[in-house]
Formats: sequence, structure tokens, C-alpha cells
Amino acid sequence: MEIISNNLEKDKKDMRKVWEKIGDYFRANSIWMMWYCTGCGAIEMPPTMTSRFDMEQLGMGPMATPRQADVLLITGYLSAKTLRRVIYSYEQMQDPKYVIGFGSCTINGGIYYDSYATMKQLDHYLPVDLYIAGCMPRPEAVMNGFDTLISMIKKGEAKGWKHYQENYDWYHENQLHSLGEVYVKDEFHE
Amino acid sequence: MGFSTLILFMIISAIVTYAVSKQNSKAGAYLTVLFSTISLLILFLGKSNIGNEFTLLYMNFKVTAIGWYFSIIMVLIYSSTSFFNPYWMEKILHKSSYNFLYMFSLAATVGLFFSADLITLFIFWEIVVWSSTFIVPLGKSRRAAVVYYTISSVGSMATLFAIMFVYSKSGTFNINEAFAFLATQPTIASFVFFTFIMAGLTKIGIFPFHIWLPLAHGSAPHTFSPVLSGGLVKMGAFIAYISVGVLPAYKAFSTSLKIMGMPVQIYLLMVLGAISMVVGTLMAIKQDDAKKLIAYSSVANGGYILVGLLMMDQLTFAGALMHIFNHAIASAAAFLTIAAIAHRTGTTKISELGGMIHKMPVSYVVYLISIISLAGIPPMGGFVSKWLIVQGLASKGLIFIAFAAFFGSIGSFLYVFRPLAGLFLGQLAPKYENIKPSTIFMKIPMVILAAMSIFFGVFPKYLLAVIGEIQSSIGIDPIMMNGNTIVAINGVLNSNKVALIFGFGFMISLVIFLVLPKSRKVGLMDTFTSAEFIYTPELYHYANSFYAPFERLYKNHPSVEKFLDKFAIKTEEFGLLINSLFFSHKPSITVFWAMAIMTLIFLGGVNI
Amino acid sequence: MNFIYAFLLLLFAFFFQTSITGINRKVMARLQRRRGPRWFQQYIDIFKAMSKGSTSHGWIFDFGVIMALGGIMATAILIPIGPLKAFPDVDNIFIITYLLAVGMLGMAMSASGSGNPWASIGVSRALTNMLAYDVPFMVLIVSFIFAFKTSSLSGFAALQQGAGVMGWNFFRFPLGGILALICLQGMLGKKPFDSFIAPAEIASGPMVEYGGRHLGMLFLLHEFSTFIEVSIIVHIFFGGGASPLEFMIKYALLYTFMNIIAGVFPRFKIDQAVKFYYKVPLALAFIQGLIIIFTGLGVS
Repeated sequence: MEIISNNLEKDKKDMRKVWEKIGDYFRANSIWMMWYCTGCGAIEMPPTMTSRFDMEQLGMGPMATPRQADVLLITGYLSAKTLRRVIYSYEQMQDPKYVIGFGSCTINGGIYYDSYATMKQLDHYLPVDLYIAGCMPRPEAVMNGFDTLISMIKKGEAKGWKHYQENYDWYHENQLHSLGEVYVKDEFHE
Repeated sequence: MGFSTLILFMIISAIVTYAVSKQNSKAGAYLTVLFSTISLLILFLGKSNIGNEFTLLYMNFKVTAIGWYFSIIMVLIYSSTSFFNPYWMEKILHKSSYNFLYMFSLAATVGLFFSADLITLFIFWEIVVWSSTFIVPLGKSRRAAVVYYTISSVGSMATLFAIMFVYSKSGTFNINEAFAFLATQPTIASFVFFTFIMAGLTKIGIFPFHIWLPLAHGSAPHTFSPVLSGGLVKMGAFIAYISVGVLPAYKAFSTSLKIMGMPVQIYLLMVLGAISMVVGTLMAIKQDDAKKLIAYSSVANGGYILVGLLMMDQLTFAGALMHIFNHAIASAAAFLTIAAIAHRTGTTKISELGGMIHKMPVSYVVYLISIISLAGIPPMGGFVSKWLIVQGLASKGLIFIAFAAFFGSIGSFLYVFRPLAGLFLGQLAPKYENIKPSTIFMKIPMVILAAMSIFFGVFPKYLLAVIGEIQSSIGIDPIMMNGNTIVAINGVLNSNKVALIFGFGFMISLVIFLVLPKSRKVGLMDTFTSAEFIYTPELYHYANSFYAPFERLYKNHPSVEKFLDKFAIKTEEFGLLINSLFFSHKPSITVFWAMAIMTLIFLGGVNI
Repeated sequence: MNFIYAFLLLLFAFFFQTSITGINRKVMARLQRRRGPRWFQQYIDIFKAMSKGSTSHGWIFDFGVIMALGGIMATAILIPIGPLKAFPDVDNIFIITYLLAVGMLGMAMSASGSGNPWASIGVSRALTNMLAYDVPFMVLIVSFIFAFKTSSLSGFAALQQGAGVMGWNFFRFPLGGILALICLQGMLGKKPFDSFIAPAEIASGPMVEYGGRHLGMLFLLHEFSTFIEVSIIVHIFFGGGASPLEFMIKYALLYTFMNIIAGVFPRFKIDQAVKFYYKVPLALAFIQGLIIIFTGLGVS
């Protein structure tokens, strides 16, 4: 954690070049998301996407594959089994990429705080750019969160993907610590 | 060198090849390369021989422009395929006879295209049929050879009958004189037309005679399939040309009933050609064996050729002649790439292969170019010929034939893409991880054929000039060329310019690609799997029943094969019945027949 | 000189079609009672995709995309915009439809080259879809060529101009006009004929492995191919345009109309699409074709 907070301090300064700023303008206004429906948060997404709240007015939309997506939404609790797959998906996304932790489960485990099978703190494993707190957050809160993400990208503050690259060893160690190594590799094990 | 010497040279070279192959089969195989290439050069340089007549033994020959054109195509296919022969010697059972028959059938095809009388034509036709019949079972299956021979003999016998019939009416075997005689007699002419063209129909593989193509092409030795599909099938086109061009079909049928503006006899055959396009396309779509797939595509393309030849006009006929050339080189190149793959992997099944592009990039590029040509996409040769055929059909308003032409043409995107996706692209199975690319000697003919596909697509004028000469020599309007532009009745095609525009578009696209941020290279297994972990490339390769939803729509189709199988069973049963009734060893049957005959004699005796 | 002109034409086609796509996203949103994105959202999407990193699965994955975009841009150059043409005598309808196939084949090749089975499934559906919509349309075109003795887009357009709205082929051959619109819906890959990019089912089909610059180029490709397809119909059935402005207006209205239709449809399965096309539109094509060839009704 020490390293991360140091890096965050360093990145406060705006050191972007002109074309990076232009690029960030485009990225901020066209965010395609892939959401990982591990928990109850997925149910908050349809109203956010459809006519009532209409996230397309922010230039956002759902995408089918991680290759096309810009933001990974972790909408709920993570188990050891799903976290492995979330990491796999995250690594298939193209840079620059962002992660939103959705609901209290991703912050501290939420109501599963004492479960043996859930991952309590997402930012030990993936660089979370933004948390949307709540259990579950209402669409209003979600829209508000997206708005914050957009302004973060515009200002060049959403740099989780860079931290992940720079501190990959730290993240990887955490991942291995919680998930363990895979011994059997075939179609039925991983 | 005169072409009389050429035919003698080819026959002698066949014998020499046989003698050498007896000692050393590999040397014999290299001799087939040498001799066929020399023959190609002699033919190509001997264009001035057109118009010559000569006699060998009792056989009369006349070098015509169209015969020269056909024989160039044939020898080109033979000589380019022969580059593969040396690599197949250890796999073929009767090596020396394979080499002998390879050269001998080549000699016979050249003789066939130059024959001036019907008997010579028939003799050479039979030599080709017999020699190829003996080559086919050297591959996978004997049954294929039986089917091939049976269907061929149906055609040959009908044609022989037509020849004798024409002789009995006109009193001459000379092709031109005998058929010119028919111009004024529509009934005899239509009878001869239908019987004489039978050999052509069976050889091109027109519905319902198409069933031998996939069997023979699919199971012939990999080195002979290109010859069968690219070369020998075109002999049928030559017979079709004789039936409609030399026999002045339009003059003879000028009084007969017209359908959509065409004489009914000709329209009937055009409908058969159209059915072949549709059937060939539908069957090719569902094949799993790449060789059978290309064989069915030959059926479909045979339909185009037949329809084009039957029109005998300025556009479509030129298109058909050009398509004969384009299809010959494209399908031969496609078969050669499949053969190159089979040489390394030992299989031609699409579902067993995959990812070959990473091991054999040259074969992939050649296959890509030839299928683009087969499907008729610019800037390849196949596009120009299909454009001519389609423009010709449109100018006559033949919408039902045009429907089949478009179905075959767009359907060809489906079936040519299958081997591309299943065999060359997709996941590479671990067992093929260490295979080597094909040898340089095998790459030579593949690259040359692919280059020709592109060249004649960009500059069709060199080919169309020859075709124009052929058209004027047989008395129809030659195709109009204005520089590089083909001028048709309803439109113009400047394929040179189209290729240039395509190149321009490609350059812009390349620039866009290069200025954008660089990509990260990842492996084939690093794909989106819904975040599932997969470690078995073979299972992660989509090659089985590629067009399943579409195939399901016609899975219960009626089929000629099923009908013929039933017919064969019934014939066999009938034979068994006859056998048990008349040729039985049981005394009771003998006594029964003796009684029956005696009864008949007694009853009939009253009247005697 | 012609090539500079062609380049300008490409730029025009891109900006025109992308703006129209953006406006149509707004229209679609209003249809669904949403506010919708800003009208230039489509530009942002394209440039964003181009600004991102990407992954490549080997040379064929890259080459296929380049070939696809190159082929489609070459086809777009052939399309006349009203009276404006970059090259004379190449706007033959068969050249356009077959050159369009280069782009399709390039994209199919690249998609399959990624090694993802979903891409191959999407491609197989796209090709089947093409077999469905192209054949009836081409049969109709053959009868048009027979009737009008021309096969160039500008030739078709010129024959309809001067007689007002009722001179348009859409009104002179109503059966054929309806058929053409049905086929256009298939060409554009809009609902109900969009099963090949089903995002929830096969993860957007051929597009599944594309991101970054590859995806950006495919967006360009999509804009250009939409431009080509709608232009063909505008030229053959709606009289093209005496001036570029007239052409643009017709184009925009037609595209919006097709989009609105797409907005109210669910999706056909691919075999249902084939069955549909070989029942209704093919029958329409044959009826209209026979009417044209035997009676000449509508051909003045």
C-alpha cells in the first residue's frame, strides 16, 4: 500500500503531452464498459442503461468483449474462483483501461465480510480507479460515479492501469497469495 | 516445330518415361516435369501452326485456334502439376505406370484438341478416359474409378452413337463437313446435338452426371486431382463447344420453340447448367474434405462454362472461354496447395487441420489468390470472366439462369471460405507444431499459377485478344477491347483501373494502420473465452459443420446418388432373379423349364 | 489528379456518413424515449478506438483488416455522389458488388485468423446472410440491366431524372422497390437481419477480438460500407441526385427510414433470414423481373 500511495502523490502533477490530453478527451467521452456480474450489482445496470437514466448520453455503452471495453465494472462480491477470471479478463483489455468497484463488497467484503470464500479488498488484486459505495448503489449513484470517472479521465487522474504495470510484482504476489498456484491444467481444472 | 512432331514427341516421351521409371521412379517423375514443360513451350511458341493440317497413320488433324487455346491450358495444368510428382513416388503403388499414363493422357488430350475427324476425336477421347481411369484408383479408392468409368462410358457411348449416326446420314467423318450437313435438318440436328454433347456433359460434370467428380477428384492421387479438375474437365467443354459451335446449333434450331428468346434445345441444357451451379454450390458448402469441396466447386463452375458456351455470342462465349482458363489455373492451384498440405500432414479433412498459415504461409497466399479468383472477386482473373458471363446473361434477360449464376457466385464465398477458416486459419493443433513448409520445387508451380491469376485479372486484354481471334475464326463477333477497357453492350469494365483503385485504397488503409499506435503481439490461445481457461487448441477450433444453420435447411434434399444406388440394387436383384430362374443348378428348376417348354411346344404345335 | 479527387471523395464519404450515423443514434434514442448521445458521438467513438492500444494475433489478423478497409475504400471511390465521380466508367453495379466482397472477405479472414471460434461463427452467419440478401437483389438488377441497357449507377440515375418523383424506379417498379428496401436492410446488417454480430450470444461475432486500432479501422469500414450500400439504392431506385445536395438529402432520409424500421424489430435467426429471403423477396424479384422482360411495364 505504501508504494501505491507514493505513486498517487507523484501522479497528481499533470505531465501529459498535448496528444495525450486529446486522447484522454476522447476516452473520457466514449467509455465502453464490460461488467462482471458476480453479484447483485448487475441488477442496477439495466435501469442505468435504458430509457430512465440513459447512460448513452454520457457516451457510455455496454460491450461484449474485454478487447473492446475501456472500463471493467466489478458489480459485487468476488470469490476465489471468479477473481481468477476477472484478472484474466482485465489482462485481456486494451490500455488505457479502468476499473470501477461497485458496491461495498468490493471495498471491504460488505455483508460477506466474514466469509471464508470471498475476496474482501479488490484493490489488493486489481488497480481500482473508482469505488461506488452502497449496498447496492442506486442508478443515480451509479450515474454520479460515471460522471466522476469521466472527469478523472479528463484530468488524467485515472491511472490505475499504469500502476498495475509498474507494480505488477506486488499485485501478482497478492493474487498468488490468495488464489494459489494452479497445478492441474486440463479442460476440467484450471 | 510442327505439331505432328509434337504429338509424336509426346507419345515417345511417355514411353521413355515408362522405361526410365522402371529403373528409377524418381528420375521418371522428373522426366514428366521436363517433357511436359518442353511440350508447353513448343505449343506456346507454335502459334503460327494454326490452320495447318496433317495426318498421322490414318488420323487426320487440323490445328484450330480454339484447339490451340484448349491445349495450351491443358499442357499448362499438366506441366505445373508434374512438379509435385517426384514427391509422391513413394506413396503411389505402380510408379512407372503412373508416370507413363500421366504423359500418355497428356499426349492424347493434345491429339483430341487437334483432331479433324470424328473418329480421331473419339479415339483420343477414349485414350484419355482409359488412362485417367487407371490413375484414379492409385489413390484412395477403387470405387471412385468404377463410378468415373461408368459415367464416362455412358457419355462416350452416346457420343459414339452420334458419330455413327452422323456418318450414316452425311457419309463423312470430317467434323466440319459432317456437322455443316446438319444445319438444314432440325430434327436430326437436335438428336445429334443431345447425343453428341453427352460425353461433354459427363466430363464437365453437369447435373445429373456430376456424381463422379467429388468421388474421383477426392480420391485420386493428390497429384492427379489438379489435372482432373483443372485439365480433363475442360475436355468436356471442348465437346460442348463442338456440339454448339461446329454443329451450327443456332442455325439448325432457328425454327424451334423459343423459351426466354433461346431455342428450347439450348435452353434445356442451359437449365441443366444452372442446376449444376446450384447443386455444386450447395454440396460444396457442406463438404468436410477440402478436395471434395473444390471438386464440387468444379461442378458449379462447369455450369458457368456450359451456359457461356451455349450462348455462342460476343460476351458470354468470350466469358466462358476465359473462365475455362481462369478456373483451370485457379482450381489447379487450389488443389496443389491442398496437396502440399497433405504432403506434410497426410490428411485433407478440414476438421482435422487448422492454423496451417503459421506453418505454410506461401501455400496460404496461393490458396487465397486462387479462391478469390474462383469466387470471382476483383482484381483476379475469375472476376473478369464472371463479369462477362453475367453481363451477357443480363443483356438477354435470362433471369432464371442469372439467378443460378448469382447463387453460385455468392455461394462460392461460403464454400471457398471454409478451407480458409478451417484449414489455414484458426487454432494450430499441437501435433502439427513441428511440420515443415513445402519444398521450393513444389512452390514454383503454385506461385506461377497464382501470379497468372492476378496477371490476367489486371490485364485481361492479353487473354481476350486470343479469345477475340477464336471468336472471329468461328464467325461470331469478337469481344470488343478499347485499350484496357472491355466494352460490353450494357457496360464497360476496365479491370486495370479497378486494380489501380484497389491498390490506392489498400495504400491509404496501410498508411492509416501504420500511423496508429502499435499493437501488442499475443498468442492464438489468448482470445476472449468468456474468461474461461482453455488449454486444448484442437477443441477450440471451429471447423466442423461450419454453416450448420444453412446446411440444416437442405439436409433432406433429394439426391441423384441415392436414386442411382437404389437403381443399382434393383438391377442386381433383377440379375439374381434371372440367374436363379435360368442358370440354376437345382434339378427341380431344370425340370420345370423342360416341362414348360414342352407344354409350349405342344400347345403351339397345333398352329405349326 | 483523379486520385486526389478520389481522396477528397473518401473524406466526404467518411464525414457525411459518420455524421448521419451520429444523428441516427439520436433518432434511435428519441424513438426509445431517451436523450441519446451527442450527434458527434460516433466520431469520438472512432477516434477513441484508434487512440487505444491493441493486440494482434499474427500477420493475417493485421493484413486482413488492412485488406478489408482498403477494399471497401476502393469501392467507395467508385460510388458517384450525385453528378460527381472520381473515375468515369467504373461505377458498374457488378464491379461495385464484387469489389465490396473483397472487404468482406478481408474482414472474415482477419476475424478467423484471430483463432477465436466466435469470430468464425459470426463470419459463417455473415456469409450466409449475404447469400440470402444478395441473390434476390441481383436477379432484380439483371432485369433492370436488360430493360435500361446500362449497368452503371450514374446511368440508372440519369434515366430517372427529369420526370419528377414519379419517375423514380421505386414508384415505377413498386414490387422491385419494396424488395430493394428489404435487401438493403440485410446489406446494412440492421435488425431483423443482424444475427451475425449478436453481442450477447456470440460476443459480437467477427468483432470479438478487435480492439484499439483494428477496431477503429473496422468502424471506418462500417461507415464506408454503409455509404456504399445506401448509395446503390439511392442511385438505382431514388433517382440519384442532379446535385450533390439532392443526393445527400435523399441519402439521409433513406438511411434514417431504414434505421427507424430497424428500431422496432427483433432479430431473425440466420436460417429464418435465409428462408424469408428465398420466399418473399425472391418471389418479388422473379415477378418484377418477368413483368419487366415480357411486358416492359414501367420501362418508358
